[in-house]
Amino acid sequence: MRPTFILLFAIVAALWMGCAPGPAPKRKPGEKIYIVTTTGMIADAVQHIAGDLATVDALMGPGVDPHLYKATGSDLNKLNKADLIFYNGLHLEGKMTEVLAKLGKKKPAIGLGDKLPEANLINYGTAHDPHIWFDVKLWSGTLPLIADALKAFDASNAITYTTNADNYKKELDELHAWVQQEMNTIPPDQRVLVTAHDAFEYFGKAYGIEVKGLQGISTVSEYGLKDVTNMVDLLVGRKIKAVFVESSVSDKALKAVVEGAADKGHTITIGGTLFSDAMGAADKPEGTYLGMVRYNVKTIVEALR
Amino acid sequence: MDAFWIILTGALVALNGALLGSFLLLRRMSLVGDAISHAVLPGIVVAYLFTASLTSPFLLLGAALTGLAATWIIETLNQKAKLQHDAAIGLTFTLLFAIGVILVASYTGQIDLDMDCVLYGEIAYVPLDTITLASGLDLGPKQVWTLGSLFIGLLGLLLVGYRGLSLTTFDAGYAAALGINTSFWHYALMAAVSLSTVAAFESVGAILVVAFLVGPAATAFLLTRDLKWMLVIASLAGILSAITGYYLALWLDGSISGAMAVMTGVIFAVAFVWQMWRGR
Repeated sequence: MRPTFILLFAIVAALWMGCAPGPAPKRKPGEKIYIVTTTGMIADAVQHIAGDLATVDALMGPGVDPHLYKATGSDLNKLNKADLIFYNGLHLEGKMTEVLAKLGKKKPAIGLGDKLPEANLINYGTAHDPHIWFDVKLWSGTLPLIADALKAFDASNAITYTTNADNYKKELDELHAWVQQEMNTIPPDQRVLVTAHDAFEYFGKAYGIEVKGLQGISTVSEYGLKDVTNMVDLLVGRKIKAVFVESSVSDKALKAVVEGAADKGHTITIGGTLFSDAMGAADKPEGTYLGMVRYNVKTIVEALR
Repeated sequence: MDAFWIILTGALVALNGALLGSFLLLRRMSLVGDAISHAVLPGIVVAYLFTASLTSPFLLLGAALTGLAATWIIETLNQKAKLQHDAAIGLTFTLLFAIGVILVASYTGQIDLDMDCVLYGEIAYVPLDTITLASGLDLGPKQVWTLGSLFIGLLGLLLVGYRGLSLTTFDAGYAAALGINTSFWHYALMAAVSLSTVAAFESVGAILVVAFLVGPAATAFLLTRDLKWMLVIASLAGILSAITGYYLALWLDGSISGAMAVMTGVIFAVAFVWQMWRGR
């Protein structure tokens, strides 16, 4: 049958077209370690610990929602070239988590959240809230994991990694104390953080502020009319001054809440935009983990105080 | 080797899509793939509620069963309620998707559970997910084996059932008069569509599967009225989209499945312009 024959020919042609050079060569001695991370927050921590000894690349740029991240053609090259890979885990990266875990059999690929003590995580059944970077103390628990992985890969610079990790941990400890102190300046009855989706649970737990998300974590769940009404009643009842927009989620729902409260004679302002699932642009202060946390806390405190 | 595996995966999805898509196009049901991509949500949620794990293989099973149920409902609405196919598809997938959304909102609101997170795969990562034997022998990506077996299964179905499938597609009344069981072939085709689309979603994500079900078949339909040639031209157009799409994605440093899907549209447009020019 002629058509079948042509089809077979085409398949063979496709196979042949696809043949390309093999994997990247091994690292030469003295060359910088190449590290790939998924989120910018992890890249920031790794760069602090590895210093000049490594080049760090984050796959997900500023403003990218990790749940919905789509891979580009060069991502695979980066993952193949990488000497070490760090990712958030706890299913933050969705289906990609499974691929990264598989890759872990061939080269060091560490899911930081997966290695934290389970007692410190927020659990829903067997699933965990993946947004661990909002609790600065919890986040600093990932630093030894990063340092250990670097030491295992490059034992000759072990002391540097330990020192750098200790120094960065001190910065994070200071930040943690600062956040606590700032949050305590908000009057206790005003400590309610209203955002569009439930990303701030760790923040709330660590710094004693009640977190109310309008919609669930999943992207298919939408806010319902009842959610808006309940939220308006809560805000009016407790005289909350402000609600917050997130950099990676639409602000439409929160505007409905603001208008609903206005109908009941209670004025609420949009307190500002918070960075939730990604950091700000690299050339701004919010482009680092420290800067992002400070920015979020300042925004929250100024609006609610 | 990575480029090879990605293009091979794309080409296999394209072949499966082209073979099934040609029959779907002639039956005016091209969008059934898109419908299945939405309709699987309740199956995933229910499977999650039973297994409480986001990585359990039962989630895929739940998706496959809901996909089958969706196509069964579509066929039944069409045959028993005399509803035309586009309306039956629209009614079925919106209903199932809506049930899924309600289930997510009422039971799993705290968990990141949707098709993007637990079902849709990413073609760029196909080369990373390899099957390795205990002896250390690397057999290549898992998805290539899944999609390859599906392709062989589909070829088998076509070889055995070509007469039944084509006759019931073109003239169901005539086929019935010849003693062919028309509903058997309807359901057989729909079962093949739902199983292969769900498996392909798991490998490469939804957009590429939907694009490969519609684009290549539509291109082939412009160029020929012979079903055998239509299957071949659709397959060729699909494979060409996979190859050119891969290099387009490299050049733009963009999403590989997005670029392959774009190329199905570009190839259709070229065929369309050529057809217009020839028909002047």
